[in-house]
Amino acid sequence: MLEKKLISQLRKIAGKDAVLTSKEDLNAYSYDGTTTWAHMPDVVVLPTTAEQVSQVLKLADENKIPVTPRGAGTNVSGGSIPIKGGIVLCTTKMNKILNINKTNLTATVEPGVVLQDFNNALAEQGLFYPPDPQSFLGCTIGGTIAENAGGPYCVKYGVTKQYVLGLEVVLANGYIMKLGGVTVKNRTGYELMMLFTGAEGTLGVITKITLRLLPMPLANQTMMAIFDDMAAGGQAVSNMMASGVVPAKVEFVDNFVIRRIEEMTPMGLPVDAKALLLIQADGSPAAVEAESAQIVDILKKSGAKEVRVAKDADEAARYWKMRSAGFAAVFGAAHTVMAEDVAVPRDKLAEFIRKLDEISEKSGFFIQYLGHAGDGNLHPSIFTDIRNKEEFERAQQTMEEIFETALSLGGVLSGEHGIGLEKQRFLKRAMDPVALNLMKKIKAILDPNHILNPGKIWEEERV
Amino acid sequence: MVKATEDRYEQIKRFESDLSQCMKCGFCTFFCPVYQEERIEPSVARGKNMMIRGLLAGDLEYTKEYAGRLNKCTLCMTCTANCPAKANIPNVIVAARADTVRAKGLKFPYNIIYRWLLPRRTLFGNVVRFASWFQGIFLPKTEGTIRHLSMFLSALGKGRNIPQIAPRFLRQMVPVVNKPPSGVKTRMKVGYFTGCMTDFVLPDLGKHIIDFLNRNGVEVVMPKEQGCCGAPVFLGAGDFDTGRKMADTNVKAFEDLDYVISDCATCTSALKDYAKFLADTPERKEAYAKFGDKVKDISQFLVDVLKLPASAYQPSAQAKGKKVTWHDPCHLSRHLGITSQPRQIIKSIPDVEYVEMPNADRCCGMAGTFSIYYYDLSKQIADKKVEAIKSTGADIVVSSCPGCEIQLIDSLLRNKVPVKVMHIMELLK
Repeated sequence: MLEKKLISQLRKIAGKDAVLTSKEDLNAYSYDGTTTWAHMPDVVVLPTTAEQVSQVLKLADENKIPVTPRGAGTNVSGGSIPIKGGIVLCTTKMNKILNINKTNLTATVEPGVVLQDFNNALAEQGLFYPPDPQSFLGCTIGGTIAENAGGPYCVKYGVTKQYVLGLEVVLANGYIMKLGGVTVKNRTGYELMMLFTGAEGTLGVITKITLRLLPMPLANQTMMAIFDDMAAGGQAVSNMMASGVVPAKVEFVDNFVIRRIEEMTPMGLPVDAKALLLIQADGSPAAVEAESAQIVDILKKSGAKEVRVAKDADEAARYWKMRSAGFAAVFGAAHTVMAEDVAVPRDKLAEFIRKLDEISEKSGFFIQYLGHAGDGNLHPSIFTDIRNKEEFERAQQTMEEIFETALSLGGVLSGEHGIGLEKQRFLKRAMDPVALNLMKKIKAILDPNHILNPGKIWEEERV
Repeated sequence: MVKATEDRYEQIKRFESDLSQCMKCGFCTFFCPVYQEERIEPSVARGKNMMIRGLLAGDLEYTKEYAGRLNKCTLCMTCTANCPAKANIPNVIVAARADTVRAKGLKFPYNIIYRWLLPRRTLFGNVVRFASWFQGIFLPKTEGTIRHLSMFLSALGKGRNIPQIAPRFLRQMVPVVNKPPSGVKTRMKVGYFTGCMTDFVLPDLGKHIIDFLNRNGVEVVMPKEQGCCGAPVFLGAGDFDTGRKMADTNVKAFEDLDYVISDCATCTSALKDYAKFLADTPERKEAYAKFGDKVKDISQFLVDVLKLPASAYQPSAQAKGKKVTWHDPCHLSRHLGITSQPRQIIKSIPDVEYVEMPNADRCCGMAGTFSIYYYDLSKQIADKKVEAIKSTGADIVVSSCPGCEIQLIDSLLRNKVPVKVMHIMELLK
């Protein structure tokens, strides 16, 4: 519990209504999108300006109170859970779009702007911001920067970090620092913006963001390919990429998800299909037509049983809705769902899928997966029950094997979710020890009192 | 009060699958009208559901704060409609309200109003009339109707536009049995459930509906024994015991009729909800389910049951030549899935231009007692609706829920938008 005096100081800074202290309200900030992680904060502060954020951090730093920055809490890494208690600094009330500049193709926003609200505002002006984590209906842009989020569009358009032009960041000591600008080119010193992009709120609190935009592609075409063999689906993706076509999105859904979706909202999917690939080409109408024909050809040659080309926007929307409901289908399936986020090089996708099958067979755990096949980023899930200690431990071991396999193929621990709490047990194996140590040193310089999102990314050394 | 041997969370546990279905994705934040204004997690379905899980886990207690957060939901169902896991958190919220009432009782003056006044229809009517005498003294007279009747007294003095109580109630104006006029063949006999609002405030609407049905060959029976639907009591306040008494009264009142017609979306949906929330015995379950099946919204009845030809829909004098937009009441659209029937009726009326408003099914923020407890919040939600109505350029906004209509009247007047609010049946001659 925090001293009463501190609470009243926080109220003075942010306003009475912007400070939540009841147990019921603290409970609402104890979780995120993960299944089992939870910890109550001591207080929740909802600032509306960078100045308020600065004063809160100053106060916290002076009193060595942990501060966990949080957006909408839709992340799936445990990143926004106040595992050490203290203050949850929630940016959802800082939700103004400050500027959209069609000539510069830039936008400046506050961190609490919800990604879908931003997309809607851009669409009105024919503009496009590609990074599309599938939590777009809830997630805040600040959160997507802190997590360096990605999504289906990243095959062609890259992840969040490729769009960050400028940041305003409040440091642990309360200093409001400006980084970058509004120009696409900027070679001024170190790329310090990248330090805060993907830092999961451990180095500073983002209070303003300038993003690079693109014009909305004029046309797009959605295609769905049905496969009898999952590895063949993976191989088709590799073949497609090698042929020189880069679709906007290439998503992978397995038989489990197909069946679950047909149960939840029937839409005529082939329930006996082992795997579906969902592909979207975009660009100018002529290019889309040519690319689509090429993609269909490659899919057929790669062994697709059937390729459906969406006849209209409605059919396309149905397919994509199915994909975005995919994770709901998975998460509702068991008491505890361990959903991971490994990524492997694209040319290793088929091999990775075959090895997952072997692991599944050996361990006895059914391994479900869906994901962004186009960039080698899969989300393998194991269904278990944390209340069953023996089974849960075996599930953890199996997941470790999956990580090892991905790493051995030249892959990474997390493609887009971040490390947070969920994956920190594995970080040592996935990073050069010198690099890991360098991260800790950077942390110590920027946040000497370790107040910012403590307990995240790397495991704390046991004293 | 709950006895030690009883299960403290009996009602919540009936909706355990909804409670556990939420996987915390947070999509509901994008759709919840309350969250969209407050932008804090305890406002939204995910937060409320996690709070209830916290209660069951023993981390939280029945406190004032708990009850307050639970109360702050319009039950608009937008979260469920957009939930990838289809978790019906409003079910859990209503159940949790019920368990709270069982554990902690109801607070004054709600205990008096819900348990004593609302179930006594005649007395309630007289209290409303008594209150109406004071209305002229305390408040400016405005067009339209008053806010939620059960909350009439506490609604006073909050500065809203509270319109007049009818000099004569519907039940005093019309007989129990209303037969089609001579020369019109009787095709069907239906019961008419008149919500409190139509009975006490909009008797002319009630009279008009009876006339319309009579002219189209429907005999209308208006049992005098019928009472309040119970929505504010069991859905709003979670008082299931009183709700059950009201349900029994209404089920009995319409026992001999095959159809029960209602002109109020909230009433319609509440009558249909008896089986879900209030059935505590197999007998009640059967009776409530049977009753629920008989209940039809007026537009649904005209289109799906009576199957009136388009020519039956002729414009009333006030609707002729006007541009009309439709507001979907939550209790009609998301609760009952009725969206096409009212639109079909409006579009059938000659000399009336229909225009769809953006987000027509977005909650207006009324939600009965919600708007009394949280009037400022309710106004903020309503202001978004006003913007949508304004953008259509319509002369008239119609709905099929007196609750919504009161909110729309209040909000349009407050924003000085000269759009008339009408019940869909008032468009018809």
